[in-house]
Amino acid sequence: MTETPAQAAAHGTGSRARQYLTIFFVLFVLTVLEVGVAYVRGHKTEVVVVLFSLAAVKAACVALFFMHLKWETRVLRATVVVPLSLPVLYALVLITEAAWRRLAG
Amino acid sequence: MQAAAAHGHAAREVVWPQDPQFGRASAGKIAMWIFLVSDGLSFAGLLLAYGILRGESLVWRHPGEPELGIAFTAGLTFLLICSSVSMVFAYEAALHDQRKRAAVFLGLTALGGALFLLGQYNEYFGIFHPGLTKEGLVLGQSAYASTFYVITSFHGAHVFSGTLYILITLMRWLRGKATASQIELLGLFWHFVDLVWILVFTIVYLIPTG
Repeated sequence: MTETPAQAAAHGTGSRARQYLTIFFVLFVLTVLEVGVAYVRGHKTEVVVVLFSLAAVKAACVALFFMHLKWETRVLRATVVVPLSLPVLYALVLITEAAWRRLAG
Repeated sequence: MQAAAAHGHAAREVVWPQDPQFGRASAGKIAMWIFLVSDGLSFAGLLLAYGILRGESLVWRHPGEPELGIAFTAGLTFLLICSSVSMVFAYEAALHDQRKRAAVFLGLTALGGALFLLGQYNEYFGIFHPGLTKEGLVLGQSAYASTFYVITSFHGAHVFSGTLYILITLMRWLRGKATASQIELLGLFWHFVDLVWILVFTIVYLIPTG
């Protein structure tokens, strides 16, 4: 595992400023893309899938790099990710069920 | 104030022993993460309710109700992202004991939070334009209106408390009473507010209503 920002500072191995700026640039570009995609008309399912994918990448960037989850232990990462995956799973079940009802009805 | 820190009155960092499961994460950091997970589940409940109501409604946005302004809110999203960047720079500066630099970045982050709240006030009630309440989006009038106000104001309450948290930490930092670890905990909360907004912006504003 790579050093946490605190360990990097303690060992004098420099700052993560460049990495933070890269993530900022990625978040900016993805936000612009999201807004562009939101104005696309006529392909609602595709638009929704792309928007959720872009949001998931942005959220992961913030959690991994700005919140330093990338440098935490596997147990701490699991403590955060597992409970928050449950509502996502529930949403997928609801979407599947709604789609099934529409197809059946 | 900096002299106080230089003369040993500054709060000292507590180095946590290596733990086989949680590494060097302090008790404070683990507690903050547990709080954020529970808070995240609160937002998840609201967003799931939003999805169910919207998915089951025959008409989501009724005639006379305004569309939400994507361009303006994209600006607010960019503002929150900028404030997250200034927060990580504040933490970096605190780690390297660059006290003035850390204070400046904390101040900029608080300014970002305050501007976001001003933007949200403008969106609801209008400063530069009429505002959604005057354009016909009334709380309690429809599921579209109520879910919008409940979710965005719940997030706004987090921005407000986060901004207060930043200002209190900034004061303590200037007095030499706050540590880099405490700024990291503050950063966790602030980035969480940013992360949640990324999801709220996508789900509430960007998904087309047509």
